[in-house]
Amino acid sequence: MRLVRLFAASRRMPAAVLTLAGCGVALSLVLRWTAGVTPALALVLVGAAAAVVGAAMQSPFDESERATGPRLPLLRLAGALGLTAAAYAALAAGATAGHLTSGAGGLLRDTVGLVGVALFAGGLAGANRSWTGVLAYVFLALAAADNGWTTPWLWPARPPSDTAAALCATAVFLVGAGVATVGTVHPRWMKPVVLRAAPRLGG
Amino acid sequence: MNVELSGLTRRFGRKTAVAGVDLSLGPGVFGLLGPNGAGKTSLLRVVATVLPPTTGTVRLLGHDPAQARERRAVRRRLGYLPQSLGYYPNFTVVEFVEYFALLKEVPPGRLARAVATAVERVGLGGQARAKLRTLSGGMLRRAGIAQAIVNDPDLLLLDEPTAGLDPEQRVEFRSLLREFGAHATVVVSTHLVEDVGAACAEVALMHEGRVAFRGTPAELIGHGEGSGAAGDAPLERGYSAVLGAARAR
Repeated sequence: MRLVRLFAASRRMPAAVLTLAGCGVALSLVLRWTAGVTPALALVLVGAAAAVVGAAMQSPFDESERATGPRLPLLRLAGALGLTAAAYAALAAGATAGHLTSGAGGLLRDTVGLVGVALFAGGLAGANRSWTGVLAYVFLALAAADNGWTTPWLWPARPPSDTAAALCATAVFLVGAGVATVGTVHPRWMKPVVLRAAPRLGG
Repeated sequence: MNVELSGLTRRFGRKTAVAGVDLSLGPGVFGLLGPNGAGKTSLLRVVATVLPPTTGTVRLLGHDPAQARERRAVRRRLGYLPQSLGYYPNFTVVEFVEYFALLKEVPPGRLARAVATAVERVGLGGQARAKLRTLSGGMLRRAGIAQAIVNDPDLLLLDEPTAGLDPEQRVEFRSLLREFGAHATVVVSTHLVEDVGAACAEVALMHEGRVAFRGTPAELIGHGEGSGAAGDAPLERGYSAVLGAARAR
């Protein structure tokens, strides 16, 4: 438990949980006061919560931590799952303030899927830039809703009962969680491909 | 041998940082010298298992780190201080070192003692409860050394460990290196040739990704004698002479 506590503190997870609670409060306010634009604003708030989860995967220790034993990947996975649950709990609590068109099932699908996008983007570009992937995805999803695109990969634009959309969101979450566990989009030792910022050479 | 590198190459795009290095190291303190961009840090990162080689083979502590299971076995017995140390500013010194001890699977029964010993050995006993954000650069560097040694590693890799340390601290640190070198393989990458002269039994000088010289500090000094190479100290003259010869090739 001591290791879990230190890991969570180093990732600023308590602050992340507070921010997620703030997203839940914001959702409740949106549902109460902005009936006309609610679905778009609600999706933006779900995206914000997902970006918080992605950012909390940022390690302050970098290489000295990566050169340690097998506990780190498990901590990363537990952290990602725990914060995803916290994000959904906060948003679901906020959603009780009004009528969310996507319902509880749609909220769960959107939260899980967008967290997956955030975690995958974090593995690709660094956790502190994971919000860029979420932002791009939210824009695409809003465009899909406006233009009637029906691909299940843009699940927020699909009805909550759409099984294919739910499966796509789940698949993206599983991939994102896997990436968060490994810490990057590729196992570092297996492939000498550098997708993150250019490493410092020599010296 | 604790470290066996054969034909080790590491490229970043078109840039070759490490170009076919062969190296075998047993217990003792080994100094890695060279100018900026020579490939010292890249070589150390490969040995620290945080960077895969592009080609070549690596065996560490009898294991092949390309295999996930064996890499884990290596990491339990590894201590690594990277050139740029990341830290969480709100951790105390003890929390910082304890976190790494737990990640390195130091047994619970030995944990508190191991953390206290590591902190004491780097001279931070008086600051054990201080937050990292309140420490000076030299103290942070010593906290970084403490996390590297907390598991009493068999392979200790230190990249510029004396950067930011004052002369007295450097003298104490060299003594610590010699203690570890009695039973472990210690690889120290540094720009400071006096550290090498005082603490290392053997030294390699890297130039453009290759090992341009390998021998004892006395042999390196021998290269500078009568060469007219630049440098105030004998080791510096040897360093400059070897480097000058490597550049002329």
